[in-house]
Amino acid sequence: MIKYIIIALTIGAVVGYLNNNFGNPAAGGFVSDYLFNFSLILLLFVMGLAFGADKEAMSKMRKAGLKVLVVPFSIAFGSILGGLVGGLILGIPVFASMAVSAGFGWYTLAGPLVGQLFGVGFGALGFTVNFLRELLTIATISVAVKIDKYVPIAFGGATTMDTTLPVIVRYCGSEALITAFSSGFTLSLIAPFIITALATFA
Amino acid sequence: MVRCLAMLNIVYLLIPLIAGIMFGYLLRSKKQTNLSKVTFGAIIALIFSLGFSIGSNKELLDSMPSVGLNALIILSLTVFFSFVFVKMARKMVKIK
Repeated sequence: MIKYIIIALTIGAVVGYLNNNFGNPAAGGFVSDYLFNFSLILLLFVMGLAFGADKEAMSKMRKAGLKVLVVPFSIAFGSILGGLVGGLILGIPVFASMAVSAGFGWYTLAGPLVGQLFGVGFGALGFTVNFLRELLTIATISVAVKIDKYVPIAFGGATTMDTTLPVIVRYCGSEALITAFSSGFTLSLIAPFIITALATFA
Repeated sequence: MVRCLAMLNIVYLLIPLIAGIMFGYLLRSKKQTNLSKVTFGAIIALIFSLGFSIGSNKELLDSMPSVGLNALIILSLTVFFSFVFVKMARKMVKIK
């Protein structure tokens, strides 16, 4: 599975690059918007279907209850602490590096927002760190899941509600759906606020 | 603007998920059909279009080499502490 995912990602990146430079960038929006959204909506529906039909998954979910929120908030604290330590090691402004980490893998948000609040240089850092986080989640999933079922969800951050969700469900099982989705959902919801809040302290 | 779009994005993902769960619940007693081929095709399409948006994002590609090392250091610490905190929290509240 992971082999096909890496191949699809690589071919996609090459085709996107070639289209943007030598092809028709306007037409490329069709792929990155419509194909992306269509396949994502289809996947969410199908994964929801499998989850709804699974009696065990539903009862496990009911038992967990509000405890599912513990996961995203731990990821949020861990990520921001990672940003703080990283900023101290590299000798860069810690609020900027914390804001970069508070993108939680959502690079299309973190790049522009951090850039707007902290300057273009940190915007570039926000883009790269969060893009690589998404890539890391996909690339390491087959190994990470063996360490702990929750490692891919912790790695994925905000991306576990969309792009990395199907891959996580594939490797961690159907009952990981709600944990992963609600974790990604919560992190996506709080990311813009945390980044903006950090900017007010800087 | 970015934030406003972000919120909209989150809401529209909930609709197909909830609809799927409801349909799945209703169809529970019916014969199960294997959807793994559909899922596989959709995952590949999704990952391909993800790669496509990365490849066509000039800003992203241009910024990567200049911040590479700093990015790798911050990323490693970020995912490391995320994992440690989740592990600790799971021990404390006993999530299976």
